[in-house]
Amino acid sequence: MPKLYKIGTPEQQEYLRDYHYNPKGMAFSEPGVIASDAKEFLAFNIAKSFYQVHPEVFNLAYVEEKTGIKKEEAAKRLKRLYDEKLMMLVKNSCVNIMGFGLYYWVVKLKEGTSKEDRKDLYDFFQNNDQICTGYPMDEGGEFDFYNGNHMRNLDNLFYGVIEKFRHRPYVEWVHICPVRRLIRESSVNQFDAKEGYRHYFFEEDQVKKAVKLQKKMDEKDFAIIEALNNSPTVGEMFDYMVLSSLSGLPAKEMKEDLIKAVDHDRGVIPMIYLNYAALGLHQRFFLVSLFENTPTYRSEQIADGLAKDPRFVNFFDFSDAHHNYMLSIYDELSDADEIRAKLNSYGEVKEVLESLSSRQFRRWTARLDYENGLYEECVFTDDVLLDRSTEGM
Amino acid sequence: MEIKEARPYVVESLKYALNPSSIAVVGASRYPTKVGNKVVYELQKWGYKGKIFPVNPRADEVLGLKAYHTLREIKEPVDLVFVAVPAHIVSSIIHDAVAIKAKMLVIATSAFKEIGRAELQNDITEYCREQKLPLIGPNLVGMGSPYTHFNCGFIPYLPVEGPIAMISQSGANLLAALGTSQEEHFGMSFFVGLGNKADVDFSEFIEYAESDPHTKCLSIYIEGLDSPEAFVKSCKKVTKPIVVIKVGRSKIGHKAAFAHTASENPMDDEYYDQIIKEAGAIRATTWQEFLDVSLALGYQPALKGDNVVMITNGGGAGLLSCDHFERLGLPLKELKDISPLLAQKIRAYMPMFGSPLNPVDISGTASVIQYKGAFQQALRDPHVDGVLGAICPTAVTDVHGVTLAAVEVAEKTKDLHKPFVMICQGGEECSEAIKLLRSHGIPAYKTAEQAVNAMVALRKAAR
Repeated sequence: MPKLYKIGTPEQQEYLRDYHYNPKGMAFSEPGVIASDAKEFLAFNIAKSFYQVHPEVFNLAYVEEKTGIKKEEAAKRLKRLYDEKLMMLVKNSCVNIMGFGLYYWVVKLKEGTSKEDRKDLYDFFQNNDQICTGYPMDEGGEFDFYNGNHMRNLDNLFYGVIEKFRHRPYVEWVHICPVRRLIRESSVNQFDAKEGYRHYFFEEDQVKKAVKLQKKMDEKDFAIIEALNNSPTVGEMFDYMVLSSLSGLPAKEMKEDLIKAVDHDRGVIPMIYLNYAALGLHQRFFLVSLFENTPTYRSEQIADGLAKDPRFVNFFDFSDAHHNYMLSIYDELSDADEIRAKLNSYGEVKEVLESLSSRQFRRWTARLDYENGLYEECVFTDDVLLDRSTEGM
Repeated sequence: MEIKEARPYVVESLKYALNPSSIAVVGASRYPTKVGNKVVYELQKWGYKGKIFPVNPRADEVLGLKAYHTLREIKEPVDLVFVAVPAHIVSSIIHDAVAIKAKMLVIATSAFKEIGRAELQNDITEYCREQKLPLIGPNLVGMGSPYTHFNCGFIPYLPVEGPIAMISQSGANLLAALGTSQEEHFGMSFFVGLGNKADVDFSEFIEYAESDPHTKCLSIYIEGLDSPEAFVKSCKKVTKPIVVIKVGRSKIGHKAAFAHTASENPMDDEYYDQIIKEAGAIRATTWQEFLDVSLALGYQPALKGDNVVMITNGGGAGLLSCDHFERLGLPLKELKDISPLLAQKIRAYMPMFGSPLNPVDISGTASVIQYKGAFQQALRDPHVDGVLGAICPTAVTDVHGVTLAAVEVAEKTKDLHKPFVMICQGGEECSEAIKLLRSHGIPAYKTAEQAVNAMVALRKAAR
C-alpha cells in the first residue's frame, strides 16, 4: 500500500509543526518587501558608503564597553582591517522576504582537467555578474566549484549561467541545489536558523588558533568584529549620530527603520565579513547527501542538530536536490576528522564529499578579487524577475 | 531655492562648470556599467584636456587613473566636483568640496526634494550658499560643450558645434536634443542639465550665455520657474534671442513636474506666459517647435520687416506656407506689392507656366541655375526682408545641386543680414540636404509649417 502523506497524517503534522517555512522563490513580491535602496535600509547604506574612510560609523562606544578597546584604537584597527582587505561590511538579505529564490549549484570537473581549462572556468564564474557568490575549490577535491544565484526565475539561471558552461568537455556534472533554509553564512546565523538569529560564531579557541597562524589580525581585531556582529540589536551596531552627521538625515528615524528591518522583520542582516583568503585560511566544505528515503522532517532535525555546532562557518540546507546540506569549517581552526566523524554518525547520511577552498569569489554581490582591483565592487543584478534568456537583453 | 536676481559670483563661476581645468568625479566606479564610471569614460573618450581625479573609497585606480578615497586626499586644485553617488552621501561630499576649495559643484544624484526630501536639499543648498560654492542640480544628467571637447555626465555623445546654448531642467530632453544634434545637425555652443536647480538658477546661466562667444541663441526648457523675478531681469539684460518651452500646464503635468524635478508651479500657466513675454523671450508650445525656432534664431539674423518672399518648385509647399504664415499673424504679401521690379526680374528664372505671385513657384522643372538666380535676386532686392526657399524633389530636381546653390548664395549675401530659411520636403536626399544646409548655417526643415514657425520667430526676435 502506498504511503499516505496528506493533511492529517502524523508525518505531515510533524513537519508542519516545526518546519513550516515561508515559500521561497515564488515569482511575486511578498508583502513587506523592501528594496535595497529603500528608506528602511538607509542607515546600513550610509554605513556601507562611509566605513572605508569613517570607521566611526560603527558604534565604537559599544565596542569599547564590550571589549575595553578605546574608541580611537578600534577606529584605527577597523580602518586597517579594511585597507588590508581583511574584512568587509556586508548584508545578507532574507530571500523569502525579498521574494528571491536562492539556488546554489555544485560543479565537478573530470579527472585530468587541465589547469588552463580550470582557470578558464574560474574566470567565467569570477566575472559573470549573474552569480552572486561562489567558492572555487582547490584542485584534488571531490567537487570543484560551489556557486550561488539569487533568482526569481530559474530559466535565467539555466540560460545565463549553467547552459554557458555545462557542456564543456571537461565538466563531469553540475548539480542544482535550491536552498530550503539558509542557516549560517560567514559564521553568522541566518534567517532560517532555528535559534540564535544573527548570532556570530567565532569561538575563543578558534581565535587563539587564528592568532597563532598569522600576523594580520590579533585578538583585539577579532574581539572588535565579534562585538559588532554580536551586538544584541542592530541598534547597537552603528553610531546613528555619525551616520546622521555624514548624511544630513535624521538619526532617530534611521535607527528605528533599521531595527525594524533587521531585528523585527528579519529581512536583512548587516554583518562584518571576514575575508578568510586574505588571512591565509581555508574553508573545508562538506557536501552531505542523505538517503533518499529520509523524510523531510528528519533531515531538518539533523540540520538543527548540526547547526548547534559553532565550528560551522556556512550551512546551507537544500531541497529537491541530489544533496541535502553544504557545510564548511575553517580547516586550520577546526578538526576536520571530528566533523567528518560527526556527520557520518547519522545513519541517514549516505555520502559526504569534501573539498578545500582558499578563497571566495564574491560576498553576495560584492566582489572580493582585490588582485583585480575590484574589492567591494558591488554588482547587484536587480532584474531577476525579467526574462534574460534572450541573447542581447 | 528662490533668488531675486542672478548672483555675480555664481555667473562668474559658471566657467568652471563648462570649461574646468580639473574635475573630481565622486563615485567614479571601476565597473563599466555604472554611471560614475561612464562619467570618467566619456570625459576621456571625447578628449577632455584637463585633469581628472576619480574619487572612490574602495578603488585605487579607475580607468587607468589614480583614484582617491576622498576629495580631501586630492592635493591639487579642483575646479569642478561632479557627484554621482547616492543621496545619503552627498552632504558629506559637499563639506569635503568646501574644504578643498572647489570652485563649482555639480550633483547628478537623484532622490532629494522630488521624493520628499526638501529639507535635505534645502540644507545642502543653504550650506553651499553660505560657502559661496555654486551648486548645479541635484538630479541632473550633466553638461558639456563641443568647443572644449567637454562631455561631463552620463551622456553618450557631444552635439555638433553650433550657436545654440541648451539649458534644460530635463535630462531626457537634453539627451534628445543631443541626439537631434548628431542626427540632424542641430549645432550647440554648450548644454547643461539643471535638474532640481536647488541653487544655480536659469537666470545665472542666461547671463553666462550672454558672454559666451559661441552662443547666439539661448534655448531653455523649464519645468518650474521658482525665481521669476531673476529670470525676467536676466533675460532683459541679454541681447541674444531666447526661446523658452515651459511645461507643466496640464493638471497632471503639473504633478509630474514635481515628481520629476521637484518643480513647483503655484501660478496658472497664463502667469508664466506673461513672465516669458515680459522677459522678451519667445515661447514655443511643442518640443519640435522649440528646436526649430532655436535653430533659426541661432543661425540667422532677425527678420527686420514683414516682407518675406518664398521661392519654391512645389505649389503645395507654397500653399501650406501661405496658410501657416497667415495663421501666425505674418501673412505673405504679393510679390508685386513688395517689389514690382523683383516680380518682373524673377520671371527669368521660371518657365512660362511658373507663378511670380508669392510664393514664387519656379515650377517642378526648376534647375539649379534657376534656383540660384531666384534666391540671389530675392535676397539682393532692398525691399525684401527675408527669403524662404523650398525644394520638392521631382524626378528632374537636382536636390544636391540646389542645396549647394543655396549655400553659395547664403554665403555671398550674408553681409545683407537677411534671414534665409529652407524647406526640403522629401526622402533621404532631402534629409541629407537639410544636414548640409544646417552645417552651413541655413535652418532647413522637413515641413512647411516648421519653416514658417522659424521665420515668424525671427520676426518676433526683431521686435
